[in-house]
Amino acid sequence: MTKKMYRNITIISFVIGFMLAVQYNTVQDPAERTTVDIWEIRQQLFAEQEQHSELLTAISELTETVNKYEDAEFDNPEVLLQQTVDQLKERAGMLPVEGPGLTLTVGSSPELIGLGYEIKPVSPELLIRLINDLNRYNARAIEVDDKRLSYNSAIRDINGKTTINSEAIQNTDIEINIITFTYEQAEKMKNHLLASTFQDEFYIDNLVLTIHEAEQNILIDSVVPVQKSKYLSEK
Amino acid sequence: MWLPLLGLILGVVLGVLTDIQIPSVYENYLSIAVLAALDTMVGGIRALLQQVYDDKVFISGFFFNIILAAGLAFLGVHIGVDLYLAAIFAFGVRLFQNIAVIRRLLLTKYENRRLKKEENS
Repeated sequence: MTKKMYRNITIISFVIGFMLAVQYNTVQDPAERTTVDIWEIRQQLFAEQEQHSELLTAISELTETVNKYEDAEFDNPEVLLQQTVDQLKERAGMLPVEGPGLTLTVGSSPELIGLGYEIKPVSPELLIRLINDLNRYNARAIEVDDKRLSYNSAIRDINGKTTINSEAIQNTDIEINIITFTYEQAEKMKNHLLASTFQDEFYIDNLVLTIHEAEQNILIDSVVPVQKSKYLSEK
Repeated sequence: MWLPLLGLILGVVLGVLTDIQIPSVYENYLSIAVLAALDTMVGGIRALLQQVYDDKVFISGFFFNIILAAGLAFLGVHIGVDLYLAAIFAFGVRLFQNIAVIRRLLLTKYENRRLKKEENS
């Protein structure tokens, strides 16, 4: 009798232990179902590949520079250093840039002028979004209303006026010049802008954004903004 | 008393090692079944200590409680009332009561043994 009793209790406790373990497994590590379809995986793969090729391009450019330095170490290093300085100056907006690019014009909507609406210059939020998108599509240099944008340009609202580097945009009609690295990139940027909602968004602000054809040659002047530097000094 | 403990440990080890998982929809049912099983187990141990243990009652209680609890939870889901709470409450209260009875019984046993020892010496 006792033997049978113990056997039964043991079996039941075994079942309880098993159930507890299964419950623990389920609670601790719930099985996740894969819900991404093949298309999403392809998209992710594409994004990664793009990043990969960008990194490879950057690496090859830098290797080229290193090779040049090594080759010219004994000849004339000044020329190469000057080249690097020029590249950096171009990036900082201290040198004029010339190359293929795109021109956008912002104007006030003619039918609204006819109806007597007050039309304000483009808002900083919209301009920042546009600039961010342009930079995303490989803009090399950007100029808004004859104001060259550099890496630390500030676009903001000062007393109700949109300013770039503390200079106000006075007119509603402005021109935005963009230079890209290649003509194809300029074309791509144009198509992207046409497909995006920017034209509609400018229209909400009573403005009309016109996207012109990509051009082979656009010149953007240099502007020497006051670069604040805490650590470097020039003697 | 070590055999049931061994069974419990064996069950846990086997369950963890096999890495069986149930769909999360049925998680509630399993948790309530575990509770019902624990309740039956503790009830069985109490009956054992009170010397009123019956095999039939124990085995039938185990399965019947599990099925009833899971059925109640199932019904609750379908009529939109959290009936599984009733099962959790009932089993929880009974679990505590049974454990209290077991504790008292063991304490009495221990006291008796000590008294006996003192009388002998």
